[in-house]
Amino acid sequence: MSDEARRAPHAIDVQGLGVEYSLRFTRKTTIRDTFKNLTTRRDGPTHFWALRNVSFRVEHGDCLAVVGPNGAGKSTLLQVLAGIIQPTEGSIDVRGHISSLLTLGAGFDQDLSGRDNILLAGAFLGIEHADMQVRLPGIIEFADIGAFIDAPIRTYSSGMRARLGFSIATAVDPDVLLLDEVLGTGDEVFRAKSQARVQELMKAARGIVLVTHDMHWVTEFCNRAMLIEKGEVVALGTPGDIVRLHQEHSATAKVARDAELARILAGAAPARP
Amino acid sequence: MLTFLPMETVREDRPRSRVARRSSIGLIREAIREVRSRQRLVRYLVQADLTKKGANTLLGNVWWVLDPLLQMVVYVVFVTIVVGNRTEGYPLFIFSAILPWKWFTSSVGDGVTSVTSQEKIIKQVQFPKIVLPLAAVTGGIGSFAFGLIPLGALLVLFYASHISPWLVLIPVIAAVQYVFTLALVVFLSAANVFFRDIGNLSRHVLRLWFYLSPALYGAAQIEKVDAKGGIVATLFKLNPWTTLFESYRNVIFYGTAPLWSALAIVLIGSTLTLCLTTVFFKRVEPSFAKVL
Repeated sequence: MSDEARRAPHAIDVQGLGVEYSLRFTRKTTIRDTFKNLTTRRDGPTHFWALRNVSFRVEHGDCLAVVGPNGAGKSTLLQVLAGIIQPTEGSIDVRGHISSLLTLGAGFDQDLSGRDNILLAGAFLGIEHADMQVRLPGIIEFADIGAFIDAPIRTYSSGMRARLGFSIATAVDPDVLLLDEVLGTGDEVFRAKSQARVQELMKAARGIVLVTHDMHWVTEFCNRAMLIEKGEVVALGTPGDIVRLHQEHSATAKVARDAELARILAGAAPARP
Repeated sequence: MLTFLPMETVREDRPRSRVARRSSIGLIREAIREVRSRQRLVRYLVQADLTKKGANTLLGNVWWVLDPLLQMVVYVVFVTIVVGNRTEGYPLFIFSAILPWKWFTSSVGDGVTSVTSQEKIIKQVQFPKIVLPLAAVTGGIGSFAFGLIPLGALLVLFYASHISPWLVLIPVIAAVQYVFTLALVVFLSAANVFFRDIGNLSRHVLRLWFYLSPALYGAAQIEKVDAKGGIVATLFKLNPWTTLFESYRNVIFYGTAPLWSALAIVLIGSTLTLCLTTVFFKRVEPSFAKVL
């Protein structure tokens, strides 16, 4: 861990965080659309808040699980913590070196070999080349993908890709580790191995934040949890309590969805809010 | 409608939050610092680009040699047979323009999508995005270097009389072209994040640009059209590709000096443009992850 990170009282401190998205530019905007928008005024909101009034702290050695329904702002939160997007309001204080291969293995270059992708990922994360060369054998061994390491990533199974991603993200000795959708596909052996690795990092007083839908991970791996809904923190507490609350909320949501579904199937128009 | 409202931040500032708009000079300095500290990343990206281009096709790098030659044949057939222009050594005349132009179009083509194609990694890791257009343009040097092989062959086998010491100046002209291309690509790669049809548009603009520049014909043709130095001749002189094509042609075909002062002007203009486009890139960079 870097000295600076050790001196700080906490790994992550977030105060009154808000992230606002503009709906004017989306990934499919073209020049033509822009001209169209100039002539015709569209109704509806032009902005929305993906996160609002989010405050929490991660102490050294904490592993914080972030849970919540789809679209609640979990991934946005990780992106802000990683510095990938800037907060619109509030402040974030993340100490030390961040490792953030957020969605494990999704950023790999399909045409390059596993080995080349490890080096490329290291370069993206800003790790010294010599340092990366030293870590390379360990990463390959932990990911346990055998002879495939020199084959292009596109020949990998999704499990192999996730293992390689996890292996890189945790091997680079981060002060703060951010993981999104951890290991939906891992086998039993790798699950045990990665659990050990996460606990090792916790013992070394690193801060970990992970987003997952797998409630076993929350209770097994983490010592704290946070429930986010519609961009706001609903509850912050022990993993057991939060998982229970989350399950209650999703059960309620499911009842509402089922009722809606029944109405649609019955041929009625969906109720207007 | 075209106002961007990026949120600036300095990584070293802790705690992070919205920081006041920073000066343009500061942004250029930061870009230079980022590129210097991420040389390795640029190198990896260039290598990845070259391996993929070479490995994906049957003949691999052989295409880099064949491509400009085949294109030359097409233009030679078109111009000498259809148009009926019979200049001595016309194939070499054309080849001296095709070679840099292919480098330019492939760099612009790769460069425009250099940011958008790395969408996934941009959403996962915080890194200076300026390395992406830089790597795209730098990777293009490979195809240019390979194109020098058929150029050498043409000169030695068919046009030995055109060989002159001026040939050693090709890299100097190429360096000017590199700065010019980079200035354009830095802008286009960032603009393409917000307007996805930039790539389409640029292909057509490039094609028009090629025919309006003295690639298939010499600058002498333009003097015939507009002998009095009117608006056509003026626009023609302002076109950076007039300077570049004529300079390449001077050292390769005519065995004379390149257009020194015009090249210097293109270099200075490109450097200034590069500063401007870098500032633009840095200003919109924070919103990339949100828009992608």
